[in-house]
Amino acid sequence: EESEVTEEVLVRDVLYACQGIDGKYVKFNSEIDGYAVVDYVKVPRGTRTMVRMLSELGWLFKKVKSFVSESMDRFPGEHVGTVGQAFCAALQDELSDYYKLLAVLEAQGMNPIPLVSESATSSCYLSLRRLSVWFAEPMVKMRLMAVLVDKCKVLRGGAMAGAIHLHAQHGDPLVHEFMMSLLRCVCSPLFEMVRSWVLEGELEDTFGEFFVVGQPVKVDLLWREGYKLHHGMLPSFISPSLAQRILRTGKSINFLRVCCDDHGWAGAASEAAAASGTTTRRGGLGYGETDALEHLVAEAAKRIDKHLLDVLYTRYKFKEHCLAIKRYLLLGQGDFVQYLMDIVGPKLSEPANNISSFELAGFLEAAIRASNAQYDDRDMLDRLKVKMMPHGSGDRGWDVFSLEYEARAPLDTVFTESVLSKYLRVFNFLWKLKRVEHALIGIWKTMKPNCITSNSFAKLQASVKLQLLSALRRCQVLWNEMNHFVTNFQYYIMFEVLEVSWCNFSKEMEAAKDLDDLLAAHEKYLNFIVGKSLLGEQSQTIRKSLFVLFELILRFRSHADRLYEGIYELQIRTKEPGRERNKTQESSSWINEGRKAITQRAGEFLQSMSQDMDSIAKEYTTSLDAFLSLLPLQQSVDLKFLFFRLDFTEFYSRLHSKGKES
Amino acid sequence: GDSKRFTSDTSSNSGVEQAIGCYDTPVQELIVIDDLLSALVGIEGRYISIKRFHGKEESVTFQVDPSMDLALQELAKRIFPLCECFLLIDQFVESSSQFKNGLVNHAFAAALRALLLDYRAMVAQLEHQFRLGRLSLQGLWFYCQPMMGSMRALAAVIQQASAKHFVGSGVLNLLQSQAKAMAGDNSVRSLLEKMTECASNAYLSILERWVYEGIIDDPYGEFFIAENRSLKKESLSQDSTAKYWSQRYSLKETIPGFLANIAATILTTGKYLNVMRECGHNVQVPISERSKLTIFGSNHHYLECIKAAHEFASKELVTLIMDKYDLIGRLRSIKHYLLLDQGDFLVHFMDISRDELNKKVHEISVEKLQSLLDLALRTTAAAADPRHEDLTCCVDRASLLTTLGMHKDPDSNSSIEDPVSITGLETFSLSYKVQWPLSIVISKKALSKYQLIFRFLFHCKHVERQLCGAWQIHQGIRSMNSNGTAIRRSSLLCRSMLKFISSLLHYLTFEVLEPNWHVMHDRLQSTKSVDEVIQHHDFFLDKCLRGCLLLLPDVLKKMEKLKSVCLQYAAATQWLISSSIDINSQSHSQKTMIRDATV
Repeated sequence: EESEVTEEVLVRDVLYACQGIDGKYVKFNSEIDGYAVVDYVKVPRGTRTMVRMLSELGWLFKKVKSFVSESMDRFPGEHVGTVGQAFCAALQDELSDYYKLLAVLEAQGMNPIPLVSESATSSCYLSLRRLSVWFAEPMVKMRLMAVLVDKCKVLRGGAMAGAIHLHAQHGDPLVHEFMMSLLRCVCSPLFEMVRSWVLEGELEDTFGEFFVVGQPVKVDLLWREGYKLHHGMLPSFISPSLAQRILRTGKSINFLRVCCDDHGWAGAASEAAAASGTTTRRGGLGYGETDALEHLVAEAAKRIDKHLLDVLYTRYKFKEHCLAIKRYLLLGQGDFVQYLMDIVGPKLSEPANNISSFELAGFLEAAIRASNAQYDDRDMLDRLKVKMMPHGSGDRGWDVFSLEYEARAPLDTVFTESVLSKYLRVFNFLWKLKRVEHALIGIWKTMKPNCITSNSFAKLQASVKLQLLSALRRCQVLWNEMNHFVTNFQYYIMFEVLEVSWCNFSKEMEAAKDLDDLLAAHEKYLNFIVGKSLLGEQSQTIRKSLFVLFELILRFRSHADRLYEGIYELQIRTKEPGRERNKTQESSSWINEGRKAITQRAGEFLQSMSQDMDSIAKEYTTSLDAFLSLLPLQQSVDLKFLFFRLDFTEFYSRLHSKGKES
Repeated sequence: GDSKRFTSDTSSNSGVEQAIGCYDTPVQELIVIDDLLSALVGIEGRYISIKRFHGKEESVTFQVDPSMDLALQELAKRIFPLCECFLLIDQFVESSSQFKNGLVNHAFAAALRALLLDYRAMVAQLEHQFRLGRLSLQGLWFYCQPMMGSMRALAAVIQQASAKHFVGSGVLNLLQSQAKAMAGDNSVRSLLEKMTECASNAYLSILERWVYEGIIDDPYGEFFIAENRSLKKESLSQDSTAKYWSQRYSLKETIPGFLANIAATILTTGKYLNVMRECGHNVQVPISERSKLTIFGSNHHYLECIKAAHEFASKELVTLIMDKYDLIGRLRSIKHYLLLDQGDFLVHFMDISRDELNKKVHEISVEKLQSLLDLALRTTAAAADPRHEDLTCCVDRASLLTTLGMHKDPDSNSSIEDPVSITGLETFSLSYKVQWPLSIVISKKALSKYQLIFRFLFHCKHVERQLCGAWQIHQGIRSMNSNGTAIRRSSLLCRSMLKFISSLLHYLTFEVLEPNWHVMHDRLQSTKSVDEVIQHHDFFLDKCLRGCLLLLPDVLKKMEKLKSVCLQYAAATQWLISSSIDINSQSHSQKTMIRDATV
């Protein structure tokens, strides 16, 4: 051989270099960033290249080793976390295998390399070429580890596991095996977290590595905001939908524990674990068993969610509460509403600051007692309260009165403040509609044609009589028109909005598999009502024109009241002269002035009345026209059927087209 | 002694050596063997150097010091091709182990690496022999022989693969075709087959997931089935040109040769499984030990596995669609309404919607029709059908002829101008809400064919009803003496028109729709896959369309003409009869007056 150093020495040096140690001749050269034979020794070109190639392993080893020791130094720390720890442990395991190999090689390296001239001493020796055979497999693994170390330097927790998982997508069986065993170690803390979260609802995550994060919130926000998915920590081998299910399952447990004060979930959890085959103890899951994980999560989710819904439905009577809200806040209980309207009506006409809420609460109680509502569950009735909204100076009782329903934990997760305020808006709207209807019915009682009114006008002068009859007729026609509108509108609200949405909601409630479904169903229900009742953002203009119509109808009511009062007075006056002239001679001015004056007064009164009536009728027609013309323009809500009902005989569309033509 | 001399010969450590020619031939041989052992693992020796050409294709050649003994030179040069092959393969292994090159390349590289490890071990053994002094250059050449052929064949494959940047099935196809091309050389052939097997394992695991679970788990896009995620399943029931079923999953161009014949089966297998998963049924083909896919070994076992999986998947899906989603019931319900076999509902609907349907197309209120339709559905026997709520009505803008023209040739934009006076009776049709997965079979396109038939039948029915009305009027005045008047002629005309229209209707319903329906119904009972179901259904529809003359525009035009004449006649009858009654009664009263006068 022509080199200054023997191959044995070089082999030994290479073995040193492979452990990151500078040997006698093979040293780390920072210029080429690797180990090489020092320049001053004479070795053949081939040997030099060979050494350089073999000692690449040392360079890789140094990288991996330094990562491991750096991470180990920081244990236990925020930057490393349990996943990082597991990663280091797995790397350390690999490295000790590597050390074992080197030890064996070192022993072989002690044997002298036979030379051409000498006879063989031992066949068990190491040359550089033999070393290259030995190193083939460790080289692949070490390279892989170096790559992983590079990628994972800044990552932790689920993100780290995800990054390693991406590198496991390799077709080489050796690499695949290696990555699998590595990942099994790395992911074990994560799977442990999933297990304890899904089965016990515990966040065992000291270093913030789990893809579920919790934050302290008030009890009523626990479901919506208490726990979130941390997408950065979600490893890619767990699909988003699975992650969502995992999140929900643990959340359900926590919800049951904190909000519902329930302990039955533990039974459900152990049942789930038994059903899925893994026991509730630690270490039951591992990487690569995605099916098992999915199975476990599915079982746990199914049982826990079912348990949660059972608790909500049976113990906290969710359905009953929804129904109660529908009956009281959405005016489903007719007799109660009617009675309440009857007794509370007069009071509400007073200015708002004259009304005490205690008095109204008394009325409410009376209405409950007097109607079928009294047979309802006391717990629900207790939750029904009168609410006075803040009022300004000119407000009347009508403007500030409303009912509210108190939602207690855990139902406040469904009936949050914003949900209740939506209910309040719907209630106010329905109450207003009811009031208008009530007013129309009230006036009907006085307007009802009966023999008293028809008989008494016989004595009147023909012209006044004609005037009176025409005023009455006008009034009736207008009433009918208004009644048609209100009845149909109310029909629409009650049957096409409230009942339909309730029916859908009940169906969805039956089909709901978890609390999220239930929340979504309820939200849909409420939004449907709000949208269809024209309370949405987009239907502001049509709402305004609807309220104008309501105002007009109320005005009509007071007007008609006055008209009929006048008529009754007239009636009394015209009757009286016969029987009671003597007694009331001085009491009224009308009588004194005699019959003629009465007739004259009546004529004037009727004239002014019919003028007012004319103006109301005209205004009503224009605003109804405006309302009807707005109906087909609603894009957000489908109101074509309402339009179709209101205009069933095509009276309005004909009127409209006639108006256009003329 | 030798080693000492070697050391003294080395003039510098940088590899610039004395010319080899200054040694004796035996010494030269020793040096050359040592250099060759290096060269065999791709390392330059003292007198053997590597020259790289950076041309279009990177190529490598080994060169030997020219001062060497000529005989030795020749001997050494014989071994160089092996060294070149090694270098090439080694490079390929390095580069294709990178992640982006795909699973097949990874697996192939792994197999090559194992081979190279054997090769290196052989070189180490040769070195041992050399150190024992038992290796001559001639001996080296001899020992290299077995490796020579296989390394060369592999190098040739690799050269092609890397030149064309093959991935996935490209690599597999290349390996297989090479194996076939080398059929004469047994050892090379079996080596290449082994390589194919190793490389295809990764591919087959993708295939297994697809065939057994309906999932494409293909991180590097190597699989021969492509998924087009932009096609949504909802489009089936909305868009009449929806391509979901045919193009959601499609075959790519490069299919591995051993799967080429069965690729279509593989595609449908996974597709069926996927449909079931979309419906929320997580169906997996039951996997046993035997169903693990391997290409080699028991002859074409994998083909049987795939066929078994296909049978399982198609059977499951057909049972799902037939039993759970009740396809036949659905089709029957469509037949009730759209092919007019539910008489009471139709008559009632035609009665109540007459006024609305008589309006011009743009004046019709679809909402009103819908509520009338609901009314008709709820008050007739149709209410017993649980699916009657899926029925909606729609009013087209164009006449039947125009729609047919567009249907036949969707590109030509309504070349025929529609008469302005077209009424709802001609454009009204029913529509049916179909949910996934039934929309695979009853797609929007199929539904539009149903609608075409419905519109034609509906209008015929309308004409028949009008003529019946005319006939009734005639019956009312039968007692009157109408000899020689227009009434007699009109009565004859009425009968012949009625005969025509009821024969037509009889033909359409009893000779076209019913028999074809029964044929389809029978066929559907014994179908094995959804594709067959679709095929039978489409065949039924096409046959009906043809039978209903809807594909013959000339005949149809004549038919439309006839119908409009019938309608004109029916309208005119009213007038004719009432005026002739007037005349009659006048003459009658005249007669009585005369009689009175005579009395």
